[in-house]
Amino acid sequence: MFDTLINFIIEQFAALHGHVFETGVLPVVHALGLGGYAEQAFDGTEFFLIGAVEVTVLAMVLGAIEKWVPLEAQTDERAKRVDVIYTLLHRLGFVPLLMFLLLVPLVDTLDGAMRMNDIIPWKLEDALPFLNSSPWLSFLFYVIFLDFVAYWLHRAQHQLNPWWALHSLHHSQRQMSFWSDDRNHLLDDFAVDGVFALVALLIGVAPAQFVTIVIATRVVESLSHANLKLSFGRIGEYLLVSPRFHRNHHGIGVGHEGKARGVNFAVLFPIWDVIFRTANFENSYPPTGIRDQLDGEEYGRGFWAQQWLGLQRLAHACFGSRESRMKTR
Amino acid sequence: MNFCLSKPIVILGLAAVFNMYSTPSSAEVVIVLNSGEGTVSLIDKATMVETKRFPVGKEPHHLMATPDDRYLIVANATSNDMVFLDPLTGEVKRRLDKISDPYQIGFSPDKKWFVSVSLRLDRIDIYNGADFSLIKRLPAPKAPSHVGFNSDSSLAFITLQDSNELAAFDLNTQSLKWKMPVGKMPAGVWLTPDDKYALIGMTGEDYVQVIDWRTQKTVKKITTGKGAHNFLPMGDGNRLLVSNRVSNTVNIIDQSTLAVIDTISVPGGPDCMELTKDGKQLWVTSRWIKKVTIIDMVTKKIIKQIPVGKSPHGIYFANHAARK
Repeated sequence: MFDTLINFIIEQFAALHGHVFETGVLPVVHALGLGGYAEQAFDGTEFFLIGAVEVTVLAMVLGAIEKWVPLEAQTDERAKRVDVIYTLLHRLGFVPLLMFLLLVPLVDTLDGAMRMNDIIPWKLEDALPFLNSSPWLSFLFYVIFLDFVAYWLHRAQHQLNPWWALHSLHHSQRQMSFWSDDRNHLLDDFAVDGVFALVALLIGVAPAQFVTIVIATRVVESLSHANLKLSFGRIGEYLLVSPRFHRNHHGIGVGHEGKARGVNFAVLFPIWDVIFRTANFENSYPPTGIRDQLDGEEYGRGFWAQQWLGLQRLAHACFGSRESRMKTR
Repeated sequence: MNFCLSKPIVILGLAAVFNMYSTPSSAEVVIVLNSGEGTVSLIDKATMVETKRFPVGKEPHHLMATPDDRYLIVANATSNDMVFLDPLTGEVKRRLDKISDPYQIGFSPDKKWFVSVSLRLDRIDIYNGADFSLIKRLPAPKAPSHVGFNSDSSLAFITLQDSNELAAFDLNTQSLKWKMPVGKMPAGVWLTPDDKYALIGMTGEDYVQVIDWRTQKTVKKITTGKGAHNFLPMGDGNRLLVSNRVSNTVNIIDQSTLAVIDTISVPGGPDCMELTKDGKQLWVTSRWIKKVTIIDMVTKKIIKQIPVGKSPHGIYFANHAARK
């Protein structure tokens, strides 16, 4: 019964995907002389449709729960609207498309040069051949490995001053909600995606597999930013990043300070914070934001202002006086 | 209570395992590569039902039988490997690693050379056809797509999808012999039976370009449906099928007159094809709708569409029409 329902949904989605692609996207792709990218456009159409469904479901479910039992009152509607823009730009594929166009030529050039020197990139299946016959296990291994990489990337975003100058935009939301996950500076996105693209190349993640991983994990990431007083219980808190766990990461005075310049860097699995001693399981639900916002530091109200101020902070962090570089903390 | 439940669960489990690993040995099997999800679908040709789907590697696009028909080679582009299947049952026999980004593959008619085309990385690799040892790796910008050979196996013709060219590589010296401009987004390559012309499917246009490859001159453009892509001979030494991915049609070309003699409607982005030995059924991968479409070649109507995995591409069955 459940299988039949799932198959029915998959069939209907495939039919919709095929229809939208054939009648709407493919003619445009060919009219633009970009027929060579038909397969990428096909995957892009799927990414867009899944994103549209995902955002709609998240808005209906998490949006309703946030309204029903909010952790804190949400009074800044404009700030939330800007987060909605970030979410739509990311999840409907515009930012990923930009990153794809920028990164794929770089990665392919590097990969092609390696082949001409008889270097064929290694893949996880070389070490673990049984993954060839088990896509789910293969998927799980890649998710765990990429989450490990994400943990260290996230620590670098906080510990390297120029990167923090950009990443601080993500932390400047004072009233966090499930819309806040994609509130990032575009250069921050580029840096993170660039590292992930290189890692994917080095461990042999197929592009389609990578997209699946992104789609599957970002639901958890939306939930972890939700304006909810929600923990996953004594054991669950160690298994998956919860809204309570991630709120400590965004907390003023908790999330961006101390020896490691913060706590709870894990994106999916808190175990990395436990292993590397950056976990904070306090049940405190602190106010979110960055300490200097309390002193009036501006991170921008609208999308473009936020992007521009991020560039200014980056310039200060790279080329400013020692005093101004310190100020970016 | 536990005992009562465990027994049927064990039986169901065993049945599921048996189902996963068994394919009736007498059944004729159709093998389909689901390039978007890295799996192979096995379809019972008689009942037209998918009986099994199993992972094979990342981005399996094209397949072809070895010259002795003992194996069916599946080229996994992103896995950088090739998997050898039993062409009759689809069973995995072995995996050959360190084959760089194999997208389209082909044996020269004399079986001496095996050419692997790397679309993403602008390379072609020439291997020893007997043992798959790498002879030479050559740059082939941009986006080498499909490969064909002349009858004496001296040249490999490669379409360059993004630079809109046809390239001829000398297999004996393993070097580029010439390149010539063609229409937009060239894909499939087919050499006419008299070895006189190279036919090129223009996926960015609505024609097949006919090239006298000895003089590198275009002698004709055969108007087809939009998105002319790949070829399959019908086994009589004359008629040739071409799939048109955008117009959702398949044309039949008469190679003696170089003209389209029939058009068949095939929905969902028709791509690779396989024709039964008796010429009665055409099986086509419908790329955009996750289906294999079966056409009755007498009535030219759809017999059935079979759901398979994402982005089905290569298709094969053993009892097919002759490749001529």
